[in-house]
Amino acid sequence: MEAIGRTEHNELERNERAWVRAAQRGDARAMEQLFRRHWAHAHRAALLVVGDAAAAEDIAQEAFLAAVRALDRFDRQRPFGPWLHRIVVNRAIDWSRARAVRRELAHDEAGEPFVHERGEAGHARELAHALSELGPGQRAVIVLRYLLEYTPGEIAELLDLPRGTVNSRLRRGLDRLEEALREELR
Amino acid sequence: MTERAVRQLLERTPVDREVEGRAWEVVRAAYAAREPVPRRPRLRLAVGVALAGAALAAAVLSPPGRAVVDAVRRSVGLEHAQPALFRLPAPGRLLVSGPGGAWLVAGDGSMRRLGAYRQAAWSPHGLFVVGATGDELTALDPSGRIHWQLARPGVRFPRWGGSLTDTRVAYLSGGRLHVVAGDGTGDARACGEPAAGRVAPAWRPGPRHVLAFVTARGRVTVLDTDTCTLLWRSAPYAPRPRLMTWSPDGSRLAVATAGGLWLVDGRTGAALGVSMPGIRALGYARDGRLAAIRRRSLVLVEPDGRTRTLFAGPAPLAGLAWSPNGRWLLTSMPAADQWVFVGAHRVLPVSNIRTQFGGPASLDGWAPGA
Repeated sequence: MEAIGRTEHNELERNERAWVRAAQRGDARAMEQLFRRHWAHAHRAALLVVGDAAAAEDIAQEAFLAAVRALDRFDRQRPFGPWLHRIVVNRAIDWSRARAVRRELAHDEAGEPFVHERGEAGHARELAHALSELGPGQRAVIVLRYLLEYTPGEIAELLDLPRGTVNSRLRRGLDRLEEALREELR
Repeated sequence: MTERAVRQLLERTPVDREVEGRAWEVVRAAYAAREPVPRRPRLRLAVGVALAGAALAAAVLSPPGRAVVDAVRRSVGLEHAQPALFRLPAPGRLLVSGPGGAWLVAGDGSMRRLGAYRQAAWSPHGLFVVGATGDELTALDPSGRIHWQLARPGVRFPRWGGSLTDTRVAYLSGGRLHVVAGDGTGDARACGEPAAGRVAPAWRPGPRHVLAFVTARGRVTVLDTDTCTLLWRSAPYAPRPRLMTWSPDGSRLAVATAGGLWLVDGRTGAALGVSMPGIRALGYARDGRLAAIRRRSLVLVEPDGRTRTLFAGPAPLAGLAWSPNGRWLLTSMPAADQWVFVGAHRVLPVSNIRTQFGGPASLDGWAPGA
C-alpha cells in the first residue's frame, strides 16, 4: 500500500509540474487544474486558523492571486503546494494576531461564522471551536500537520521555526484539544 | 486524543462550496489579465545580459556607481530643478505614499511621516487620512493620531467619500469590495457585489454614498451603498479599466483603459470614447477641468473629448494632483527622480524625491488647508 501511495504521490507531483509549466505558457486550463487541486485544502486550512469564514475566503483567494502574480518567477523544480500553503498559513496567522491585538468592532463578531451542521459534522464543529481556544501559531502547526500532512521538519521550514518548537506545539496542542473537546462533549 | 481522530475531524470541517466558484472567477480573471514574461533568451545573449547586469549592479551598489546613476537621472530630468521641496507653489497640503510610507507635505514644504502606509487617501474635506498597509486599514488625522484600525487581508485602494457629517471608506480586501463607515463601524462587503478588479473605487461627490467600482470582469458598476441599489452596470470593458474618477458635480465618470479614455454619463452609464492610449493618471480640478497623464504628456481633456497638451517631459510621467485653487498641477517623472509642478506660465521641477520620501512616492491628493 505504501508503495502504491508513493507512486500516486509521484504521479501527482509530475502532473503538478506539468500544470505549472503549462500555466506559465498561458494555458488557462492548467491554471484551473492547479486551482482545483489546491483550493479546498488552502481554504480549509485558512478557515481552521482564522475561524472566520469571510477572512478565510479572502486569505485563500489572495494566496492564489499571489501565485498568479509570481507564476513566471516560480521555480518549476519545486512543488507548488508547500509554496502556496506557506502563504496561506502565514497570512492566516498574521490576520489572527492582528485581530487579537487591535480594536475590533462589534460588527466583526457578526461576520460569517463557520457553516455549522448537525450530525457527523457536529464533532468537527466542536473541534473547530476547541481549535479556536489555541493561539494562532499553535493552530497553524496543528493544521499543517494533520490537515496538510507535513512532517514536523517541513513545518519548521514553512513557518521558520525551530523543530523543537514545532514538536512541543504539536504535543501541547493535542493535549489542549483533547481537554477542550472533553469539556464540550461532556 | 489520537492523531487519527484529529485528522478525521479536520477533514470534516465544513466549508462553503460556493466559495470555490467565486474564488476561481477572481483567480481566472487575474490569470487572464497577466502578461507573461517573455521566454528566456538564448545562452550567448543571456551571458551578455548577465555581464551587463552585473556591471550595472556593481555600478549601482558602489558610491561612484551611484553617482553615475544620479548623473543619468539628472540628464533625463528637467534642468534647473530645486534640489529639494522647499515649499508648495499653491496653498494646501499634499498627501503622498509609497514604499517609504505616507507623508503629508505642508504649504511651507515641511513634511510629516504619517506611518508605513503604502497607499493613502484624503477624507472628502481633508480632515482625515485613510492609509493601507498589507493587512490593515487605518484612519488617522493629519497630525498622525490614529482614530481606528481594521485588520483585513490584502487591503488596497482605500477611498474616502461622503459629506462633512456622514462619510464612508471603500477599499478592496482580497479581491472583494468593502465599505466601512467613517467612524470605523459597520465594515462589510459592499452589497454582495461580485469580485472587484484591481482598480481603485471612486465615490461620487455628494451626500449620498454612491460608489463606482470595477468588477473582476471589467464591468464598471455604480451603486448606492446605503440602500444597495444598483444604479447601473456597464458591459465589460476590453481592455479593462485601470483608473476612474468622478467630476466634482458627480455628473461624469472618467474611465481610463489601456486603449483610451471614456467619458461616462454618471446617471446612465452612456459613454463617449476618446482615443488616448497609455493614460497613467487622471484627475478633475474643483472647477471641472479634467487632466490626464499620457506617457510623457500632461493634457487637458475637454468635455467633448478634444485634448490640449499642457506639458511634455523628456521622460514618462506618473501621477497627478491638482492644487486646490486649480492653478497648478503636480506630476512626477520617476526616471529622473523629479516632481514637476506645472502652472499656467511656469514649470517648477524638484529633484531627489526618493531621498526625501524614502522611495518613490505616488501623489494621493492636494487638499485645502494650511
